[in-house]
Order: sequence, then structure tokens, then C-alpha cells
Amino acid sequence: MAIQEKKEVSKEGALKKQSAINILRSLLPVIGLIVVCILFNILTKGSMWNSRKLILNQVYVVLISATGVFFIMTMGGLDFSQGSIMGIASIVVCLLSKTNIILAVVGGVAAGAAIGAVNGYFYVNRKIKSFIVTICTMFLFRGFIKYMASNSPVAASMKVYDYDTTPIKLGITAAVLIIGFVVFRFTKFGINLKAIGAGEKAVKFAGLKTDRMKFIIYVLAGAITGLAAFVNIVKNGSATANVGNQLETQILIALVLGGMPISGGAKVRFENIIVGSLLYIVLNNGLIMMGLSTQAMQLIQGVVFLIFVAIFADRENLSVIK
Amino acid sequence: MSEIRLEVKQVSKSFGITKALREVSFNINKGEVHALIGENGSGKSTLTNSLAGIYQKDSGEFILDGKEVHPHNQVEANNEGISIIVQELGTLDGLTVAENIFLGHEEAFVKFGVKNTGAMNRKATELLKKYGFDRIKASDMIENYNFEDRKLVEIVKATYFDPKIVVIDETTTALSREGREELYKQMNRIRSEGNTVIFISHDLPEVLKLSDTITILRDGVYIDTVKSSEVDEEGLKKLMVGREVSGSYYRADYGEEVSAEVVMTVKGVTVPGLISDINFELHKGEILGFGGLSESGMHEIGKACFGASFDREGSVTLADGTEINDIPTAIKHSIAYTSKDRDNESLVMNQSIRDNICLPSLDELSNKAHLLNDRKLKAFANTYAEKMSTKMTSVDQFVSNLSGGNKQKVVLARWIGKDSDILVLDSPTRGIDVKVKQDIYQLMDKMRKAGKSIIMISEELMELIGMCDRIIIMKDGQINGELKRDKDMDENSLIAKMV
Repeated sequence: MAIQEKKEVSKEGALKKQSAINILRSLLPVIGLIVVCILFNILTKGSMWNSRKLILNQVYVVLISATGVFFIMTMGGLDFSQGSIMGIASIVVCLLSKTNIILAVVGGVAAGAAIGAVNGYFYVNRKIKSFIVTICTMFLFRGFIKYMASNSPVAASMKVYDYDTTPIKLGITAAVLIIGFVVFRFTKFGINLKAIGAGEKAVKFAGLKTDRMKFIIYVLAGAITGLAAFVNIVKNGSATANVGNQLETQILIALVLGGMPISGGAKVRFENIIVGSLLYIVLNNGLIMMGLSTQAMQLIQGVVFLIFVAIFADRENLSVIK
Repeated sequence: MSEIRLEVKQVSKSFGITKALREVSFNINKGEVHALIGENGSGKSTLTNSLAGIYQKDSGEFILDGKEVHPHNQVEANNEGISIIVQELGTLDGLTVAENIFLGHEEAFVKFGVKNTGAMNRKATELLKKYGFDRIKASDMIENYNFEDRKLVEIVKATYFDPKIVVIDETTTALSREGREELYKQMNRIRSEGNTVIFISHDLPEVLKLSDTITILRDGVYIDTVKSSEVDEEGLKKLMVGREVSGSYYRADYGEEVSAEVVMTVKGVTVPGLISDINFELHKGEILGFGGLSESGMHEIGKACFGASFDREGSVTLADGTEINDIPTAIKHSIAYTSKDRDNESLVMNQSIRDNICLPSLDELSNKAHLLNDRKLKAFANTYAEKMSTKMTSVDQFVSNLSGGNKQKVVLARWIGKDSDILVLDSPTRGIDVKVKQDIYQLMDKMRKAGKSIIMISEELMELIGMCDRIIIMKDGQINGELKRDKDMDENSLIAKMV
């Protein structure tokens, strides 16, 4: 009896300790965001707060496209082709905007979805690891972009500037995030997604068409980035040869900064996207405002990235990266 | 009083929040077979794995022949005179038999930095011959051998250097009769040479037959050490569970007529290399058993009925004419499947109990707008987890933290929640202790009475005899006979058809 009681007490104690660590872990990105905001505002003597609009303007594209990648990473995959998807979709948006704006949006989404389908086909049907496939498509489509936009940037119709307002950009971003959240949190799709990340074989034996699901997610992520391309063009007005360059790294860093375990699975949270994207953009702008050189910035980013990966990696689950 | 070989002193070990061992202390003597028994999750394997350097204990001491040992890995443990044969496969693919035997001890064959393969193979051949395993060739790749032979190689690997202590963890369940006899022989040899065997097994008659002394653990706590000659099976069960295990173990009825209604027809099913031309019918309210050696193809039959086989020919048809060719169709038509490979195929390990139970029932749980409600999911999972009396802190707990028996309960809870009519249970009680076994048998009996049909695939002949209306015996991928439920049936009549 005494043993029993002692056991209960110690178990409870251990549970508390464990959950305290978990809470701390899940709060770390938010605390980080607040600390970074305060720190840079002090260091830049408030000039960061004054340029908040400019900073927010940069976060939309990352936020939208990170939502698609979030789905991919939840099921344990990776996508390095996001920058090239952004590039191709941006060029499509520019070209079509001369005919019709609605058509431009649809075209951007379709172009993104098409590249996502290429990724999905080689990943699912040809059974090649996702990071290999997407690195290949990254180079492939980057080549197309250089070909299309090297001589002169592809300009969009002047009409797109009519859409360069905060309500429209914020509205699109919010819509993507809200729909994403509901799907992730309250549908079969969301639960299945997490389960694939945590153990694909068992999910298959629970009756799920995992291959179809994986394909759809790559198409979806491409389509979402295609939509982000519209916001990008609205902001910039044209697509250069460097459009979307390194977007994939930005998204990856943003998600990890937001506390996303790199192997996906049951421990991912939707908040990772929002907190992470904000943290990344604030950190980036703060460093620029501090007058740091590009080299020094990359160095600092690398260090911060490593620290966060080390903290949030779900080590029980690391072997499942697909 | 014989001499003490190993003193276990106040050993503790935790995994996260789970305390697997709590200040366990007892002694093990020289020249004895010392059995370690307890329910699932009682800490048997944790203790021996800590001793053999696979885990690092948190506190306490192991004192071997008066000297503290603290191996950091298996090679260090071997050098201290401790070796282990683990529950799962302990040999490495891509190496030869000889390389596996001498893994970690290659320096004996290295001269000027170059490995002398010939010498290693010669030595290994010599050892295999000495053990009587002549048919295994030292220079062959290990993956050319089946599970059974690889276990034999492990026995050689673990015992050739005359270690002071050999740990044998739940190895016998993986072995056929001859394999077991071979192992028993080696155990007796080690004992007669004055060394010690620590033997972990769920099979109590086997424990009583082979061991001199038995130590019982429960929930990571040391309970008692008894002489085998002074206890019986009932006494051991009582010590393991902490209360009397009452009532009958298997179902008690004999001579009941099984309904003539056929719910599933399997016709000409062939899976290349595994099973060929399998035909049988499953009746309503019937428990149909499949027995055979592990390699007989019986496990593939379960997969075939669930639409999970790769490259299957032939047909699996339900009473309403539905053909089962893939898993989603099988589940939609009320077929459930529990795999022998529980951790990989039945459960999503790094996922909550809640999601594991709800996974196949998500369609039924979502509302008209295809949205799910957290509270509803939790309530659903809770209902069925509690129905199975799963030991857990809450349904949010990850299944990876559960013991084998509780994991199986989660798997069964999932299918009871789905209310499946045909259950294909592959090795439902594999590595599970007495109490949970009894729960599962009672559940099966209840389901049978409720008109559900069960296919039970098992390597344990006693449970097939105790539970099934019919037993089909498999041999070399084919059906080699069928036996009807009979009070006088014994293991030998099954074995005769198996080998």
C-alpha cells in the first residue's frame, strides 16, 4: 500500500515536471518573439516600431506559403522547391494580369499546383525521398525562371497596383490561415496528416489511402504558394530572375523558429506558422536595421536556426523524415 | 548456500515519467538458471538491458563477483563476462555469420590493421560445429538464414566465450520446438560449467521446468525470490499479478454447433513465395484458428484477408459478394486486423492513444460539415480505452510509453470502437502477460457469442486449442489439415501436422 502511494506521488511529480518542460518548450517561440521585438526596438531606438507597416508587408508571402509547407512537414516530408514554385507562379501571374486579374490569380494557383503535382508524382509514384525530388525541381524550375526573366524582368499590368492595399493582402493571408487552421485542427484530413508523420505504415493498416493523401498535399502546397505569388506580384509589380529565391529556406527557418519539429508528427501545432514567420521577419529586419552586413546576418541566422532545431527536434521520431 | 555471482543493489531506471525500476535489490548465484518473471512493463527487460550495457541505469549498483560493473555498451559488458540474447533480432544484415559472431571482438583476428577473414571463418566454423549447428556456414551472409537460424547464431555469439552471466530475454517464443530444445541444452551446459543464466519468459511451465530460482518483479518493484521446487504455476501467477487469477483461462464450452452462415470465402489465394492456393470459409460466430511454424505462411493469411498483401492472387469474398482487395475496402466492410508487428503496423507509436483509437472511425465521428469535435473524439477514445481497461494517465498519452499489453488493448479498443464484424487477430497475445491474456480471451468469447467472426493466427498452440472452433494447420505455405474443437485435443496432434 505504501509503495502504491509513493508511486502515485512520484508519478504525479514526474508528470508535472514533464508538462512544465513541454509548456516551456511551446512558449519559447512566443517569448522569443516578444524578446526580439523589445530588444530591437531598444537597439534601434524605436525606429523598428515606426516601420512596422513595412515589416508586416514582408510577412504575408512567407505566412501564406509556409501554411502549405507546414502541411508537408507535418506528414514528415520536406519541400525545397517552394522558391521556384513562387518564381514560376509569379511569372504566370504577371503575364496573365495583362488579360484579367482573376485569371492571373487562378493561373498562379494552377501553375503552383502543377509543380506540386510534379513533386508529388516523383515522391509518391516513383518513391524518391521528398527532399531529393524537390531539390531537383528547385533547380529545374529555377532554370526556367532564369530563361524567362534574365534579359528583362517580366512586368505585370499596372492594374495590379490597385490591389496593393493592406485589407486585400491581410485578407488573403487571414483567409488562408483560418481555412488552414480549421482543416488542420477539426477535420479527418488534419488528424490523418499528423498520423502519417508519426507512423505511415500503421496509418496504412488503419485504412488510409496514404499515397493519395501525400500527392494531394504536395499539390495543395504548390497551389497555396501560387496564391502567395499573386500577393508577391501585387507588392512588387514584376518578376525578376531572382523572384522567390531562397523562399524555401526562409519558410523552413520560419517554421522551425516557430517551434515545429523538423520530422513532423503529433507534436506540431498550427501556431508554429504564425509565430515563426513573424519571428523570422522581425529578426531579419532588426538585423538589417542594426546595419549588419549580409554575411554577418547569414551567420547569425545560421546559429539561431541550429539552436532552435536542437531544441525542437523530436528525437524519438527523427528517422521518419521522408 | 551457493556462492553469489551477482548482487543487484538498489537499481533504479526511468524512461521519461515512467519509472521502470524502483530500487530493485536481489542476489543471483553461481551455477544456476535464474528466471525473471513479471507482467508486461514490470521491468524485467529493463533490468537485464541495464546489466548488459544496452541501457544505463539511473542509480544503484551491479556487483559481479564482488566487483562493481558498469558497462556502457554490449562490448564492454562482454568483456566483463556478461552477454545477452535479446527478444528481437540481434544479428546485423550485411555481415557474414562469422562477422556477426565476433562483432565487437574483431581485434583477435586483426594483424597489422588487416582483418584475417580466413582465420575468423575457421574459428566460427569450429564453434558452429561444436554447438552442432553444422548446417550454418560461417562465410555466408547472415540474411541468407531465417529467423530461427539467426537466433541460433546469436546463441553462439552470446555464449562461445564462456561468459559468467548469459541473459536470455524472451527468446523461446521466437523459436520452434527444436530451436528451444537447442537453447535448453545450452542453458544446462552453462549451468553445469558453474556459470549463470538469467532467463526471462512469459511461459510459466517452461520457467518452472528450466529454472532453479525465480525472481518476481511487479511494476518495477522487487516482489520475491523463490525456489522453483517450492512453487507451482498458480502460486507464480498470484505473485506476478498480486491477486488470485480466478476463473477459467480459455473458453469452457465444447460441442456447440457453429452457425452454417458463411461470412467470408477465401478462394485460391496465393501470394508468391509465401502462400499458395489457400481455400477456406469463415462462419458467423466462429473462431477459426491458424497454426503452424512461424515461416509456414500463416501470418500472410491474415494480411491477405485484410487486403494488405502485395501481389495477391485469388479472391476474398464477403457474404454480400464484396471482394476484398485493399485495406480501405476491408475496413469499410467491417473487417478488423491486428498485426503481429504491433509497433509498426498496428499502432502509430508517436501519437496519442486518442488518435490511435479514433483513426479508422473518423468518418463516423465527423459531423455533416465533415468537422470533428475534440470533446467527441476524446469521449469516444475514453469509452473504448476504458472498456478494455487500458492502463494510462489519459487518452492524450502517447502509445510509445505504454507496455506491450496495453498497446494491444489500444489496438483492440480501436476495432471494438469501429464495431467490426470480422476480426483477423494475428498473434493477439504475443509478448503479453497472463492477466491481459485472460482479458483478451474473455473478449474474444464475448464477441463470438455476439455473432462476430474471428480469425486467430497464433504460434501458441495451447491458446489455439483453448479458443478455436476449428484449427487450420499450415505447412510450407499450404493448408496441411484441419482439426475441429475437441476437449481431448493435445499439442502433439497439431505438431504432427506442422512439421
